[in-house]
Amino acid sequence: MIYADRHTGIIVTGATGKQGVFHIPLMNEYARQCGGRGVVAGVTPGKAGQEVDGVPVYSSVRDALREHDAGVSVIFVPSSAAADSIMESASAGLSLAVAITEHIPVHDSMKAIAFARLHDCAVIGPNCPGLLSPGEIKLGIMPVHLSCRGNIGVISRSGTLTYEIVDQLTRAGLGQSTVVGIGGDPVIGQTFTDVLSRFEDDPQTRAVVIIGEVGGALEEEAAKATDLPIAAYIAGVSAPPEKRMGHAGAIVEGGEGDARSKIARLKNMGVPVASRPSEVPRLIRELL
Amino acid sequence: MKILEHEAKAVFFTYGIPVPKRVLLRNPGELSGRMGELGDEFVLKAQVDVGGRGKAGGILMADRATGLQLAGELFTKTIKGVPVREVLAEERLEIMKEYYLSISVDRSTRHALILFSEAGGIDIEALARDQPGAVRRASIPVLMHDVPPFMLRDLVGAAPKEVGGIINGLFHAFCEKDALLAEINPLVNTPSGLYAADAKLIIDDNALARQGITQNRDLTDREREAGRHGFSYVELSGDIGVIGNGAGLTMATLDLIEYYDGRAANFLDVGGGADQERVMHAVRLVARDPSVKVIVVNLLGGITRCDEVARGIISAAVSQPVIVRLAGTNEEEGRDILAGSGYRMMDSMEEAVKAAVGSVQ
Repeated sequence: MIYADRHTGIIVTGATGKQGVFHIPLMNEYARQCGGRGVVAGVTPGKAGQEVDGVPVYSSVRDALREHDAGVSVIFVPSSAAADSIMESASAGLSLAVAITEHIPVHDSMKAIAFARLHDCAVIGPNCPGLLSPGEIKLGIMPVHLSCRGNIGVISRSGTLTYEIVDQLTRAGLGQSTVVGIGGDPVIGQTFTDVLSRFEDDPQTRAVVIIGEVGGALEEEAAKATDLPIAAYIAGVSAPPEKRMGHAGAIVEGGEGDARSKIARLKNMGVPVASRPSEVPRLIRELL
Repeated sequence: MKILEHEAKAVFFTYGIPVPKRVLLRNPGELSGRMGELGDEFVLKAQVDVGGRGKAGGILMADRATGLQLAGELFTKTIKGVPVREVLAEERLEIMKEYYLSISVDRSTRHALILFSEAGGIDIEALARDQPGAVRRASIPVLMHDVPPFMLRDLVGAAPKEVGGIINGLFHAFCEKDALLAEINPLVNTPSGLYAADAKLIIDDNALARQGITQNRDLTDREREAGRHGFSYVELSGDIGVIGNGAGLTMATLDLIEYYDGRAANFLDVGGGADQERVMHAVRLVARDPSVKVIVVNLLGGITRCDEVARGIISAAVSQPVIVRLAGTNEEEGRDILAGSGYRMMDSMEEAVKAAVGSVQ
């Protein structure tokens, strides 16, 4: 597993909001199944003293860290304040901030990610489902029942498409080491390249699935930089140019980042690319 | 959202970037009293958001004698399907040299990327590909307040040093206006100094509200209506309606339809945490498109609850058949609700897509 394990204490920011209240119990339930620590504290400014699912809420990340040992934060704060929450997490000394929040302005993300880097804090997301290491820890909103523990790493710009492919892997008997949703925005913290370099140092991971989509060239950059066996699926072959396909980052601009040329470049580098999600398990098995 | 040339020029002007003398016309008659502000010769530019505007007849050279007549003609035109409602009349510049300048969001570095070239008025992507040396670039974190002097010297090279001030002004505009792209192509040198002869500014859709922009003009009416309900909607040209949750899964559903030789009528992502009412609106919106013969709903619950989705599908009560694939949070409940109302449930997205394609062939 990468980034965190069952011994990692989790802080949830935006703990008392609708998403926080829904997902804190789900993260804690998974922690109980794994023998992990789960969510040790929640943070919502001005709501100190409240509890969510038995978890104490503090007004700041620093206040929470005075009472609890934690290494990561999971951010459910609304888009207008989410970048601030990333910076607060980094400034307080956390090594990882997982930003679930959607619709954060790109300039806010660029600033928060640059600020976090100054504090050696990795940012996963924004606009992502988080991270799941089956049997170890869940950070975010991924459904756990589709996954099982194993040796395949998964990195994805999508949320639900990740669950789809994880489900296919599990049904084919290919368990996962860690599944990371890196987010659907044009500017994200951890890229395919960053997550792949973590997988390279992870003895559990033997091969990695990259789930990409139209827009940008982060998939190709990562494929160039890694020695790990990887297979890919790229969504958006049928996406028309200049149209934003749901994700702010999923747009073909200036003739760049379209799915067909992305797939061609990956294949030129020797990366097998699935033409539909159900082909991914076969491609991975051929790599092992 | 792309803002129009005259709006972008007004923004750039407030950041100290010289722009030509100009008058915005909402009808041709407005030109009659104001030609004196523009000089003897001027340019009439249709304010339409289409590429290749000049080649399509949207830019006309005029003078005091021909101005009114040409403005009248321009207002009757449709440029690449877009009717001309506003015309920018501008002094004609005596161009000695053209440059290219832009600032954009660089996904790889997560910083601003400044591009400057002494070859202006060109297709920058083609130039960067064919003569990489002709485009100078600098990556700058948006945490910076100004572009550092060394970076300006590197970018400007042998071009007039006043370009440095324009780059810095454009960087301020880029940061403060939440821009994804701020571009001056061409930036021109004239006997009276440098001017932004054209201007392009794309504002981040997620920052429109704080920039005081209330309506995204890039969207069609239906797409805008979809946005009000909280989902992303893109109209396509086929006959299979598609509703998914999550952009990636919805895109993959469209790709799978194409893989099985079907044609999707739309992309509709209901988003995370979709509740009963939003799903109902989504199904009704897709069904309202007369070309839609069947609807595929492909939902995997993460942040979305399947029970709410199922109730939403049933309450939409549309006439087209709806083929449903549901899995995830509160899955059993969702399945039970749908089964009780006689909807066709499939176990995988592949089966659901195959059934939909089969039903329209």
